[in-house]
Amino acid sequence: MSYLELLKLASPEIVIVITALVVLAIGLVTGHAKSSATISTAKPAHTVSHTSIATGICSVVAALGLAIAIGAILMLPQSTTLFGGMLVITPLTRLFKIICIALAFFTVLLITSQKPPPHLGEYLALVLFATVGLMLLVGSEELLMIFIGLELLGLSLYVMTAFDKTDVRSAEAGLKYLLFGSTSSAFTLFGISLIYGMSGTTGLAAISEKLATASVQPLLAVGIVMTLVGFAFKIAAAPFHLWAPDAYQGAPVPSAAFIASGSKVASFVVLGKIVLVGFAPMRGSADWHAMTAGWSPVLAALASLSILIGNMVALAQSNVRRLLAYSAVAHGGYTLIGLVAGGRDGFAAALFYTTIYAVTLVGAFGVVGLVRRKTGGDNFSDFSGLVSRSPLLAGCMAIFMLSLAGIPPLAGFFGKFYLFSTALHASANHGLLWLVALALFGSFISLYYYLLVLKAIFVNEPSLPAAQPFDRLTPDLVQRAAVAVLAAAVLFLGVMPDVLAARILAALP
Amino acid sequence: MTPTLQIFLIVSAALFSTGLLAALSRRHAIFILIGIEMMLAAANLNFIAFWRFGPPHQPPTGVMIALFSIAIAAAEAAVGLAMVIAVYRHYHTTNVDQLDQLRG
Repeated sequence: MSYLELLKLASPEIVIVITALVVLAIGLVTGHAKSSATISTAKPAHTVSHTSIATGICSVVAALGLAIAIGAILMLPQSTTLFGGMLVITPLTRLFKIICIALAFFTVLLITSQKPPPHLGEYLALVLFATVGLMLLVGSEELLMIFIGLELLGLSLYVMTAFDKTDVRSAEAGLKYLLFGSTSSAFTLFGISLIYGMSGTTGLAAISEKLATASVQPLLAVGIVMTLVGFAFKIAAAPFHLWAPDAYQGAPVPSAAFIASGSKVASFVVLGKIVLVGFAPMRGSADWHAMTAGWSPVLAALASLSILIGNMVALAQSNVRRLLAYSAVAHGGYTLIGLVAGGRDGFAAALFYTTIYAVTLVGAFGVVGLVRRKTGGDNFSDFSGLVSRSPLLAGCMAIFMLSLAGIPPLAGFFGKFYLFSTALHASANHGLLWLVALALFGSFISLYYYLLVLKAIFVNEPSLPAAQPFDRLTPDLVQRAAVAVLAAAVLFLGVMPDVLAARILAALP
Repeated sequence: MTPTLQIFLIVSAALFSTGLLAALSRRHAIFILIGIEMMLAAANLNFIAFWRFGPPHQPPTGVMIALFSIAIAAAEAAVGLAMVIAVYRHYHTTNVDQLDQLRG
């Protein structure tokens, strides 16, 4: 193993880190130019055009870097393992690195706007660092590396959440997210330490070998449960979801979109790897007639609580972002069912579901961001009569909401169908029937609150007299295009789910 | 009395519980951060103790992890304190009970 080879295998991550540093430098230089211009009282119009060009350059550089990273991933060999699993390249990690980068790409598109946030360079750099965290998480089968990836992602996301310094809610959401998130990472680290102590290793494959031969020790069980608790925080499974509504509502819209999409996809990939590869011998059973101790009853309990609490509390919300947060808790519960079902099919179903969920949520947050820019809020009242103001956005939001509710022919329907049918067939005598029945019940409830959003958009009269119609040629053309592309993707994946599902299934060993 | 693995594990479990108790019961954001740091320190103690009492001539994985996690804990404390300052600017308090703009 030479350093040159390491550089080659880690090239996608390196490309993104370099891009982040370049974006940071551009932001720094132009930021200085702006402040000096303000001091010398230059023409304000000139300053504005200058900064908008600078922010444009930042965004283009960031998008370009992400595109180059995708190219670098395509150049990687099919499968390699470095340092006992610290960096793993398999078809699965390649596919999900590309998905994570694509989600980051759409997040970058949502940022660029007519009125860019101050310090855009720093913000974009944080998005890129968080993307590297996602890629490390996805591309590793070693507990130390997974922990570093989690923290790189987490620390970037905390700052992204609190980035809007003028907004009280942003700071509050950031602090709450940080306190919950770092408590959960302390749990994860303590759990990892016990697992390391009991198995003497941190590679997932090696842990699995040790567990298969050793008898179950209490400390090991504690370690596994604590690690799972840490991840339950990350995927916002009830009862560890308390940070999610605040973070989704208070954070700047692109940050919320990234937390809901990229962070969730990567967390599910790595959680699936940990439980299905690392802890495979400790599986237990969550069948209703033969429940035995292991991680799968723990995950089943988390899933059922998430489905119930997420859907019930979402019913009472009047803010669209908070509603999306509670529904995210419920969707996290549905996805966990795939991991409980286990096996290649269950993992593939969970990954497919979380991917289409992420695509849908980025789009939904894109619409929320555009509405928020016009009306200054994101309550139901701000959405009322959206269809007369912007038919495009209203149509896209309808696609996203109906997909989340699971209406055919949208992607959410196929995702749920695939997930639930896999769970039904996973064990003998339909052992997971109780979980699937609960999830179906949850889906019925969720249809009600998703339709509430659509009622506000399509039926209610515009309540704000000041809400002007959206101009046809506003500068936020990029965002509208991004939202439309995402809506088209949701529709396309619903009609031809095999494009993604077959790829994920083929990528799994 | 020679130190044994059990003693280290008991100390680290006590440290973790104290940290968790502080994080859950304190209302002051800085004290919560201190509690979280204690929980991370407990995990570090575990790593080093498991490595020290593990089989001889094994790779120093436990020590390596402890080094990394110390650096990560420092970064987390830095971000946490910055966040506390940001909140203090808006609310003029760091009592987490009084942060009530977001609820429902």
